[in-house]
Amino acid sequence: MTDNERSNSVGPVLRTGEVADAVIEAIQEDNPGRKFVIDDKVSYVRIETEGECIIRKETLSKYMGRPFSITELELDLTSFSGRVETTDNQIRFFLERSL
Amino acid sequence: MALLERNEWYDIARDTNWTPTYVSQENLFPPTMSDPYQIPIDEWETFDEPYKVSFREYVRTQREKDGSAYSVKAALSRSRFYDQACEGWASVLKLHYGTVALTEYQACQFQARMVRFGPSPSMRNMATFGMLDEMRHAQLQLFFPHELVHRDRQYDWAHEAAHTNNWAVIGGRHAMDDIMMCRDAVTGSLMVSFAFETGLTNLQMIGLSTDAANMGDFTFSNLITSIQSDEARHAQLGTPTIEIMVRNGYKEDAQKILDIAFWRVWRLFSVSVGIPMDYYIPLEQRHMSFKEFMHEWVNRQYVRQVEDLGLAKPWYWQHFLDDIENHHHCQQGGIWSWRPTVWWNPPGAVGPKERQWLEKKYPGWNDSYGTYWDVITENLLADREEKTHPECVPIICNMCQIPISNRPGKAWKARPYQFEHEGRRYNFCTEPCRWIFTTDPNRYKDHETIVDRMYSGEIQPPDLDGVLKYMGIGVVSEGGRDGYNYQWIEGFRSAAAE
Repeated sequence: MTDNERSNSVGPVLRTGEVADAVIEAIQEDNPGRKFVIDDKVSYVRIETEGECIIRKETLSKYMGRPFSITELELDLTSFSGRVETTDNQIRFFLERSL
Repeated sequence: MALLERNEWYDIARDTNWTPTYVSQENLFPPTMSDPYQIPIDEWETFDEPYKVSFREYVRTQREKDGSAYSVKAALSRSRFYDQACEGWASVLKLHYGTVALTEYQACQFQARMVRFGPSPSMRNMATFGMLDEMRHAQLQLFFPHELVHRDRQYDWAHEAAHTNNWAVIGGRHAMDDIMMCRDAVTGSLMVSFAFETGLTNLQMIGLSTDAANMGDFTFSNLITSIQSDEARHAQLGTPTIEIMVRNGYKEDAQKILDIAFWRVWRLFSVSVGIPMDYYIPLEQRHMSFKEFMHEWVNRQYVRQVEDLGLAKPWYWQHFLDDIENHHHCQQGGIWSWRPTVWWNPPGAVGPKERQWLEKKYPGWNDSYGTYWDVITENLLADREEKTHPECVPIICNMCQIPISNRPGKAWKARPYQFEHEGRRYNFCTEPCRWIFTTDPNRYKDHETIVDRMYSGEIQPPDLDGVLKYMGIGVVSEGGRDGYNYQWIEGFRSAAAE
């Protein structure tokens, strides 16, 4: 096996379903201009943007069609690339040391 | 009444540090249980958990997770999935539940150690949720296989495995005792929260969920991803611990701790996840190889997280990359050959089409591993089934407790890596397993492998029947046989007839 291609891609890995669908919409709105990749693996979907990836509570609620808290995201958030930081209003995936 | 936002009260609520007056700080947090590096308390108070949750939020979310997992199970138990599932998939489940269910209780105990002895109040707070998470995982993974026991007694290993001395269980126990049960809170949080839970559990709990969904087992797919949604949160205990160690001059220690734990867990996972993904899942449902999952979760995701914390890949990285290509193929041969010693029915499953797939995913497979299976196939085609069972005992690694092996083919490369300590010779499967022993020989020196136990007289009588009984085979359930009753050789018979 050869070594990996290293990248600055970060973002959530979610169970497939309505939350994942809403997150995909929200990420595109909350991270304008960033390269955006969706990798669908049947039971889970990996969403990645370059360098930083933010999901805001407001945006997510809009696409869920109801008030939705960042904590509720945990129901389907099974993993993520990069590091994570949570507040009441948003969840952010990032790297401190960019390549 | 309006509720405050969490961030307005969180810092006050989690700060449970006080100045002890009846006992010394050292008695309250003994270094051997808490922090052997003795990093100052005010440094630990900077521990800022990246993934915050309040108890109220935790209970609400967990209730919903459990509700969903149990209702999917209840709904699908009306389908006839498990009546019709193939033996390969049943083996995936038996191996998973037998190795994982009670290990979750061990993880619960480890989290409890962080709850009591974690040097940082935030660490203790977060570990409280982690402890409750692990209890949920143990209970789910005992309850789900329980309904399958009446169909097939081998599912009972979910509950019984940990209470036996089966060779595979001894391997798991040795590693988990090392990284979880017998470490202080700080070292353990690097080993468990970071190397184990951030690095490798994704393979088993998310990677395998894709295979489960392809198989149509949505109960299992939903179960393991529900579990992993807890892990994604409590695994974050590792990140601030590493940052504090690095900042306080313990970068080399942190690196060594991660390198030990990662290798220990990797050796187990290559067997418990690698073999099912590349051999037990029927070819039609096998969309990605184990190597491809490893690439996604470890080489891309985990390594990047390690590097972002200022640490490096383990020194044995090249050994590891080679191991991804080899170890589980070796052990598939070994486990299949010693199939009466395990509690599942390992399919050989290397018919003509499977071999094409293996060659495509692992170039060179036919010229190496293929030659091993050629002999087995020949014997089976000639009705010499008895020749497919080995006559001798393998040499077991004194660290990972797995038989020593290497890639077969024209050159026979299997060799033990040896080390003498206090007059005893130890055998290891690889450089990293030997290196781990040398980091702390006193810790490991008294352990005996299953084969050592045959020679030392612990296993009586020291023959096949004696060792099988010692391992719980014929006691908890019958041992393994070929999962497909050798149907996979028929492709060769018809090819030969043409």
